Amino acid sequence: MEVTQCQLDALREIGNIGSGHAATALSTLLQRRIDMSVPEVWAVPFEQITAIVGQLDTPQAVIYVKVEGDAPGKAVFFFPVESAGIVVQALFGTGEERDLFSDEMAQSALKEVGNILVSSFLIALTEFSGIPLQASVPALSVDMIGALLDAIFLEEGTLDDTVLFIDTQLSGLPKIEGQFIFLPDEGSLEKLLGAMGL
Amino acid sequence: MSGIITVGMADFKTAKSPDLLMTAGLGSCIGICVYDPALKLGGMAHIMLPTSIGSQGGNPMKYADTALELMLRQILDMGASQSRLKAKIAGGAQMFSFPGKTPVLKIGDRNAEAVEQELKKHRIPLLVSDVGGSFGRTIHFNVATGELRIRTINHGEKVV
Repeated sequence: MEVTQCQLDALREIGNIGSGHAATALSTLLQRRIDMSVPEVWAVPFEQITAIVGQLDTPQAVIYVKVEGDAPGKAVFFFPVESAGIVVQALFGTGEERDLFSDEMAQSALKEVGNILVSSFLIALTEFSGIPLQASVPALSVDMIGALLDAIFLEEGTLDDTVLFIDTQLSGLPKIEGQFIFLPDEGSLEKLLGAMGL
Repeated sequence: MSGIITVGMADFKTAKSPDLLMTAGLGSCIGICVYDPALKLGGMAHIMLPTSIGSQGGNPMKYADTALELMLRQILDMGASQSRLKAKIAGGAQMFSFPGKTPVLKIGDRNAEAVEQELKKHRIPLLVSDVGGSFGRTIHFNVATGELRIRTINHGEKVV
């Protein structure tokens, strides 16, 4: 679908509120300050995601949640591996380094972080639009970011030429960086915008 | 001096010796390398989906069938002989699994099948097929030697 400037602005506002909730939730969980960038909204061909994620083979921890309900979609939260390691250490509070590729405790902690972030985002979105949305059980993988995103976006076997992202960067002292993407399924965007009278 | 030519998603590039072709972060996507060992030239495509059938226009380099077709045309234009062409492919992983749910459509598997079929259709022998698994791959292809270097984050590196 064609997305107008006015709709992009509305999406940025949703992103703002949703990501604000998510940052607060993460901040509470980690007991440290988390800052949030003003969300960027992108309507781009999927092939151009490089512009958003940078090098496609950088290892990142990716938490993927399916958004279910009347306006389904996909939510993806990703951290560089070092940041994910810091998050895990902060959660366990032991300072012990854990191997994100194999440590199941570390992996389930990261999934829980993803779950909390996405759920807070969805609560905001639901309040804003009145459309009930729920998060599926999160899936986690630590691998090349390009490989993970192509698998997520191509999973259904079809792909619009243009995909829409709401992209927010979270960052916190000393060194936590993460990105959040919400991608509405085909038709969901119309529903969300319609519910908001746009 | 050899250069490295980067192939983006849904794109293909051709190269002559001594240049290398590379594509980064293949997940369910597939990198298709086709070369003429005698002339030491070839191409690499980074496809995302199995077939253009049923899709409404868009970028033909996204699909196994149309991307291979376009790339072959260019390789043959460079003087390659159809009968000498060989292929190597990598990618087609299944990156995520949700607990208790089997994926309805394994897009990585479907991509691999489609690519194999298209190569068969064009009678190009497939020498190496490094597909499947649940990890990403970055590949470098040397059109002069036919060497395909496959790098992963946590599953080692190999040359095939």
